[in-house]
Amino acid sequence: MRPRTLAAGAVAASAALLLTACSTPGGGAIAGAGSDTLVISTPTEPDSLDPTFADTFAARMVFTSFCEKLYDVDSHLKIVPQLAAGMPKMSDGGRTMDIPLRKGIRFNDGTPLDAAAVKTTLDRDLTAKASARAGELNAVSRVEVKDPDTVRLVLKHPSAPLLSQLADRSGLVMSPTALKKLGARFGTAPVCVGPFSFKSRVSGNQISFAKSPYYYDRAKVRLSGIVYRFIKNSSVATANLESGDIQAAEHLDASDALNLENEGREKVLHSDTIAYQSISINVRKNAKTALSHSSGLRKAFEMSINRNALNQAVWNGQMVPDCGPLPVQSPLRTAPHCTPFDPGAARALVKKSGVKTPVPVELMVPTGAASQREAQVIQSMAEDVGFKVSVRPIDLVSGLDLARKGQFDTFLEGWSGRVDPDGDTNDIITTGGSNNFSGSDDKTVDRLIAQAAQTNDSEKRAALYAAAVRRVGQNRSLLYLYHDRWFVGTSDKLHGVVYPPDGIPRFKTAYLSR
Amino acid sequence: MIEFILRRTGAAVITLFLASIAVFLGVRALPGDPATVLAGESPTPQVVAAIRKQFGLDQPLPVQYLHYMGQALQGNLGSSTQDKAPVTQVLGERLPVTLELTFLAILVGVLVGVLAGIVSAVRRGTALDYAANGFGLFGLSVPHFWLGLLGIVVFSVHWHILPASGFVGLADDPVGNLERMVMPVLVLGLGLAAVVMRQTRSSLLSQLGADYVRTARSKGLSRGQQIRHALRNSLTTVTTVVGLQLAGLISGAVITEQIFVIPGFGKLIVDGVSSRNYPVIQGAVLVTVAGYVVINLLVDVAYAYLDPRLRMAGGSQ
Amino acid sequence: MNETAVDETGLAAGQAAGAEAAALGTGWRRSLHRLLGRRMAVIGAVMVVVFLGVALIGPYVAGSSTRLGLTDILAGPSGAHWLGTDDLGRDVVARICNGARVSLLAGVVSSALAMAVGVPVGLAAGYFRGWTDSVLMRINDVVLSFPYLIFAVGMAAILGPSLHNVIIALAVAEVPSVIRVVRGETLVLRQQDFVQAAVADGTRDLAIMWRSILPNMTNTLIVKATVAVPAGILGEAALSFLGLGVQPPQASWGVMLTSAQQFLAQDPLLAVFPGVAIALTTLGFNLLGDGLRDVLDPREL
Repeated sequence: MRPRTLAAGAVAASAALLLTACSTPGGGAIAGAGSDTLVISTPTEPDSLDPTFADTFAARMVFTSFCEKLYDVDSHLKIVPQLAAGMPKMSDGGRTMDIPLRKGIRFNDGTPLDAAAVKTTLDRDLTAKASARAGELNAVSRVEVKDPDTVRLVLKHPSAPLLSQLADRSGLVMSPTALKKLGARFGTAPVCVGPFSFKSRVSGNQISFAKSPYYYDRAKVRLSGIVYRFIKNSSVATANLESGDIQAAEHLDASDALNLENEGREKVLHSDTIAYQSISINVRKNAKTALSHSSGLRKAFEMSINRNALNQAVWNGQMVPDCGPLPVQSPLRTAPHCTPFDPGAARALVKKSGVKTPVPVELMVPTGAASQREAQVIQSMAEDVGFKVSVRPIDLVSGLDLARKGQFDTFLEGWSGRVDPDGDTNDIITTGGSNNFSGSDDKTVDRLIAQAAQTNDSEKRAALYAAAVRRVGQNRSLLYLYHDRWFVGTSDKLHGVVYPPDGIPRFKTAYLSR
Repeated sequence: MIEFILRRTGAAVITLFLASIAVFLGVRALPGDPATVLAGESPTPQVVAAIRKQFGLDQPLPVQYLHYMGQALQGNLGSSTQDKAPVTQVLGERLPVTLELTFLAILVGVLVGVLAGIVSAVRRGTALDYAANGFGLFGLSVPHFWLGLLGIVVFSVHWHILPASGFVGLADDPVGNLERMVMPVLVLGLGLAAVVMRQTRSSLLSQLGADYVRTARSKGLSRGQQIRHALRNSLTTVTTVVGLQLAGLISGAVITEQIFVIPGFGKLIVDGVSSRNYPVIQGAVLVTVAGYVVINLLVDVAYAYLDPRLRMAGGSQ
Repeated sequence: MNETAVDETGLAAGQAAGAEAAALGTGWRRSLHRLLGRRMAVIGAVMVVVFLGVALIGPYVAGSSTRLGLTDILAGPSGAHWLGTDDLGRDVVARICNGARVSLLAGVVSSALAMAVGVPVGLAAGYFRGWTDSVLMRINDVVLSFPYLIFAVGMAAILGPSLHNVIIALAVAEVPSVIRVVRGETLVLRQQDFVQAAVADGTRDLAIMWRSILPNMTNTLIVKATVAVPAGILGEAALSFLGLGVQPPQASWGVMLTSAQQFLAQDPLLAVFPGVAIALTTLGFNLLGDGLRDVLDPREL
């Protein structure tokens, strides 16, 4: 009986292995294969790779490798033409926008890029059900083909943020041939203009791209392919980088990045990004929390937080403490007023409020090591002045759900940031905005933001945003903590990566040395 | 026999049916839904409503359930809300990964466990026995995810012997695949090896003391033949134990996949929960449950075939 | 996670014993005596007692486990901090002590819950057999077929991660095996003469289960508990490690390992201490359990 059992076991074993072998995911060249293929890890997985519906930061990053936009931003957050041949010409008092297109460009399936193709894309963005772009393109009333190389956008009203939207996902242009073929399933095999073309996606694992033969700038592209692999945990990504399994790790934790730098075998790229971290405080009338009732207590809460010490303890001093949403690099920024760290004054304010101490505060925070460490430091700081902070970790989706419903006290959360200040304020501090978690209701802020969006005068816009940020600072429905510095760890063999302040590394010109 | 098989199959179908309802309701008890995730950083009510409609989430629950089950019975498990890929395709990509991991872990666990068990029973009281017993206790007591962590530090970061994590297909790169499987398989297989070793040892010891072995001895059978006799009977209980360990092994695979970033079922389900990917969670959990139920059904039937008494007892051991 | 050994000798010996409840007093003393004769079991018992001491008294002695020391981050072992400080400057000894308490709670409460549910259900299934048995076992199958980790992931997402939910998830995971053991034991005891006699006398079912059957499986249940408690401790560590259980700033051994994971390169010791604590505690329970198993000789384990 025994030999037979063993034989049967061996057969079963080889059968199972064979089964595994025949149907393993991925396919093609992955790790190790082809030394000119760059493997980069990123902590989150993109949603759809369809420009009309994509809505995650991860998708924005992956798009830069295979899907170019009408405009792009450079290292100084300046908007520069990408697929467009030049900056748009405005006429009719800012109500008509003519965008000239580069000539002789082809999509990665060989289809030529022309004004009609851009119109097809923008029409889809404007009209598709569940389009994530419709809101961003809200100012556009219709799209016209002025001539084969010029697209004309007819606007409902002048809009300053529109150009920055065209330098973000609303500016992505899709191949009309592929759109026709795939329709709603475009995201499963997307085709755009870009240095690399989409090859395959294994959900939960990786997305692979190969160098495009049609790309207009292909002479500068030296990699034969690029693979984005999803590794959630920063230290695991670091270990992979050190063991040579990947050549770049996007969005490492500060501690891992510093460690890599100290060891000196790998390189670390920094980017002072436009993203920021903040605490939303529920100020709805029905909130029934101590902080919601008393602006004095909110001030005390803010005064208890030592932004620099927080930065030091959690991030090794790598972040850029700040008290406003506008990026440090933004030409429209006015340095905001910061409430100074002052535990003595905070204690006095708590006492003055007459609320029984310790004042209970619930700090909701998305699960994740770094944000929880941050919450613990804030907890300890606020406890010093008479708050009893309970940290409530929650999965991000549930947290956002509760935040939007107003069922929370305070919420520690970040915003990935936008190049134009409108994207950092509108919808976030305006009444009823979908990201206005605190439920603040300030008609003056609403008016300031609306005015700022409708003028192209930079000086005026800067003043309007400064005024809006000041009002939020006084009301303290939203406490800005710092702007993020992000890190990309790379192998010492990887060169030519560009890492601008929008926090998205560009690999178009990257190459691996021997 | 046929009646027994029918009865057990009926029970399995009922189990699956109850499980499908449990998963369906459980998934919908999560706060938020796929629409709130897909609508992204700045959701508008219109977009959210449009997405809900697209996935049929605006229908009443019983209608959604019936629709889902109707489609599921025809082999259509819906499509992933994350990237619109058919769930069957996603499961097809992930299943082999988890199968390979658990299969190799069982292989290692049983081989190491049985061998160590035999050695320690046959050489009872010797240093070998103590070593095997120590190994058994170690395997039972040490948290496996911790060993995984230490393993990554020692073997990948410091010594650069093994890749830290990740997965490549066995067909694409057999060496790379096995290299990446070494640590996860050992981490997952260790606990099983410990249990199997202890089980083999204790049942072998009792078998060696049992009447029929004593009879065999008196008839002049060699020590080796006696052991072979005893072993045959011990292996039945070992099989039972492996069967019982299966559920724990699947949970262990979930943790192992998290630590070593292996794109298998466990990671699929955990990621699915955080992105509220209803169709994927439902599909993955149902397939897991079905796999478990079917294996147990087969084991029951096999036992009943070998031991007719069990057929009468209803067989829900 | 359920380490279950099916011991054939146990079955035979147990049946022969058919222990009457009356002889319990002297039986206990004899068992204890025999247990003390086993070196490994005594070592295990000592380890368990040390663990209980640390869990019950430690937190009062070792100071605050949540007080931050931001000027003293990731410090190595010293006079002030015997095992050093963690990533936020908290004392590792204090956190280990607090973690011991969490582990004790998770192990004991989850096992107790599992027993509270599993024993009555197992008794009913084994005693009444027939339809009751079939229905209960089907439900048991459903629970058994869900890997407990998936259940815990779902619970954490629905109710938020917390120690309570971890304990419930672990209890749910443990229940099926308790039911199985108790049911099997009941099926055997049901056939014994003294039970048959009680049935013939017309004693009420509940009374038979409570007075005649349950006392005769105490040995089995004790041994089962020595398996369930360490399983609960390991389970809590794993779930907290995955971020589904105890939440910072509260300390648990699993939580400590999660945060240590981020600093493996700078301070590997941080990952060593909690891991060793878990291993030693479960080892203690396992050694003690092995001893008890030999001494008490339970039928079904």
